[in-house]
Amino acid sequence: MTEVVAIDHLTKRFGKFQALKNITFTIHPGEVFGFIGPNGAGKSTTIRILLGNLKATSGQATIFGQSVWTDAVAIHKRIAYVPGDVDLWPNLTGGEIIDLLLKLSGQKHTARTDELIKKFDLDVAKKARTYSKGNRQKVALVAAFSTDAELYIFDEPTSGLDPLMEEVFQQEVLALKAAGKSILLSSHILSEVERMCDRIGIIRQGESIEVGSLASMRKLSRSTIHVQTKQPLTAIATLAAVHQFKAESNTKAEFTVDSEAVGSVMDQLSSLEIVQLQSTPPTLEDLFLRYYNKEGEADATQHV
Amino acid sequence: MPHSTFKRTGTLLKLELRHDWLKIVLWLTGLVGLMAAAAAKFGGIYGTQKEMATIATTLKTPAMVSLLGPFTAKPPYTTALIYGSEMMVFMGLFTVMMNIHLAIHATRSQEESGLTELMLARSVGRQAPLLAAMLELVIVNGLGGVLEALGLQAAQMPGATAAGNWLFGLGLAAFGLMFGSFSLLFAQLASTSRGALMLSYGFLGLVFIARMGTDVQNPDLTWWTIFGWIEKMELYTNNTWWPVLLMLAGALLGGACAVALAARRDLGAGLIAPKPGRKRASAFLRGPLSLLARVNRTSTIVWLLGLVLLGASYGSIFGTVGDLVKTNPVLGKLLGGAAVAAANRAVVLAMANKLAVIFVVVATIPAVMMILSLNRDEQKGLLTLMQAKPIGRLRLALTSAGYGLVVGSAAFIAAIWGMAAAGQQSMTITITLARFMRSFVGYWPALLVVCGLAMLLAGLLPKWQSAIWIVPVYGVVSLYMGPLIGLPKWALKLSPYGWVNKVPVAAVNWGTFGWMTALGVVLLAVGLWAYRRRDLLMN
Repeated sequence: MTEVVAIDHLTKRFGKFQALKNITFTIHPGEVFGFIGPNGAGKSTTIRILLGNLKATSGQATIFGQSVWTDAVAIHKRIAYVPGDVDLWPNLTGGEIIDLLLKLSGQKHTARTDELIKKFDLDVAKKARTYSKGNRQKVALVAAFSTDAELYIFDEPTSGLDPLMEEVFQQEVLALKAAGKSILLSSHILSEVERMCDRIGIIRQGESIEVGSLASMRKLSRSTIHVQTKQPLTAIATLAAVHQFKAESNTKAEFTVDSEAVGSVMDQLSSLEIVQLQSTPPTLEDLFLRYYNKEGEADATQHV
Repeated sequence: MPHSTFKRTGTLLKLELRHDWLKIVLWLTGLVGLMAAAAAKFGGIYGTQKEMATIATTLKTPAMVSLLGPFTAKPPYTTALIYGSEMMVFMGLFTVMMNIHLAIHATRSQEESGLTELMLARSVGRQAPLLAAMLELVIVNGLGGVLEALGLQAAQMPGATAAGNWLFGLGLAAFGLMFGSFSLLFAQLASTSRGALMLSYGFLGLVFIARMGTDVQNPDLTWWTIFGWIEKMELYTNNTWWPVLLMLAGALLGGACAVALAARRDLGAGLIAPKPGRKRASAFLRGPLSLLARVNRTSTIVWLLGLVLLGASYGSIFGTVGDLVKTNPVLGKLLGGAAVAAANRAVVLAMANKLAVIFVVVATIPAVMMILSLNRDEQKGLLTLMQAKPIGRLRLALTSAGYGLVVGSAAFIAAIWGMAAAGQQSMTITITLARFMRSFVGYWPALLVVCGLAMLLAGLLPKWQSAIWIVPVYGVVSLYMGPLIGLPKWALKLSPYGWVNKVPVAAVNWGTFGWMTALGVVLLAVGLWAYRRRDLLMN
């Protein structure tokens, strides 16, 4: 089975500025792929290349096995897209724009469209110039969700939505997932990505630095452990797999453990007679910050 | 009104000037250069009384009066006198255009881009951006006026006096400032920069057309047209200063109204409140073309009606223009009935040829605007959603170019039709619509070539696409002023409008039509090809 999206060593240069250095990831059919990275990392540039708006400097990018640059029109028949900054024709109403967007994809306004308008609580009789950012996003979201597509691309789609609407958005994405659709979700809201995405790609300064499932990423990371034992914990602090050891007393401490060494550390701990133990797997935020800070540390050492 | 309303106007003014300096330099160079160059040239071409008497006769014909204002001077003529009557209305028109653009750009456009909001969140008075825009206009016009006066002083035309030179320069400054402050007022009424621009140009068109009518029929009524004030300064004869005061009063009034209205409206909104619209799209709205037609509905209608009106206002003076017996009774007796009719016919057709240039240039404006809007809308992000749809970029660009061409062509036809219809009403001789339409067929390829150039720029050099406006402006200046200021033949051929033969006097030259159309199509195609293969403009 062909991959829905396949990006291989993609680069993009704007004059002297290298926006993308090396982006590589794939999206499998029926998968929700989370695309995260700090501001300016190149997420939107990657998406614009996928949409055929920008021409890649080098590397490959395909959707449904077709070239994103030369076969853009054929690809666009099978996708739906919501940009982060939605700008609408100021003198059309939201309702007119939704219908137009559907027609442009060769689709019709259905009962489902009405249902979505109601769910997102959108006043479609208002002219677009009077809409707030959130309302403009709702217009694009309603149009995208009521489009029957194979791949849905969301570029920070919820940045202007309130928590209630954010919840509606997540429900709709999960419904698409249940229906076997593929989804590319670029987002800053890590809880959203953590909840919905099967696999995640992290990029930083135009490079893919990690791609995989959240579980596999956790394996590469460290769990946090709070522990209280009967015997002193001093020996634990010296283990190679243990980091950031903070002793509250002789027998009580908090530290992080490399995921692959959790078993052996546990063995050592139980020999010290555990009174209380709490282990927290790393959240996506921890992972993200860790990758992010790594760069900061590297920069700092370079400057020294 | 608390004085904090205008807080930090000075800072904003500096920012404005720094932002607009290139635009200001280009406009002023163009205006001052045109004035000084024409003044330097005039001394050479209108040297003798005989030459001046000949041009005075031409300037007194209704056709020239309608374009350049009445020629009221009495002999003995001087070069400066001729220069004053030829240049006044023309320079006034360009000065007003500069002011409209600067005024709208400094207010509505900045508000639309969100810059104003950003600034007002700082310790900046609410009316400070408006006041800064006014001051910018005062500075630019003042500077322009002084430079123009100095340019005239340097040109040393025979018959020119320091008083007349300074009155000309400063009169233009006051005139520009007045229309600029009207535009600031329109910027408060409309809710978009485009709407404000349309209101400003609509008003300018209206007063200009009114001025044409009153100048030909009864110059005393010209006082009521506002635009006509600039003709009442009696340059190089009486040098009347008080129309300048009237203009300054008009500027103050416009500015005061703008400030008062600005205080009453919300940021980003106009005073005309938007009504709720349709909940569902009509069956008509279904693709890029119908979207373009829908979004530009009002402006398209305004352009078409405006050009019918423009054409009709010129056509309505055909009766007077084409009556040689009235202007020259001796000639009538000499020639006899049939010959007079033929001569009248020739005069009207010659004027129709001159008018065709105006019409085609004006019709070029909406066409080129549509083509340039492709990049502009893209930069604004309006096309982001559209570009993710199964619509090729070629189709999108072709739609804009095609729609622009259709609107431009329709506007051109509308003008000629208006002229023919009104002309036929006012004339005693008959000239068929088909004969007038030769102008359309003849000049249409020029429209196509300019559109092709616009597409080429939009495709290859999107940042420089506005440079296309040089072509129509140069076209009208060279073809109107060219013969008067003795421009060499090749200079008239620099714009595509100069490549066309004298239709409708002569028959359409199908050879020229063919190669110009082919050139236009090639330019369009290259522009589209370039557009297709480059990155889209992203903000």
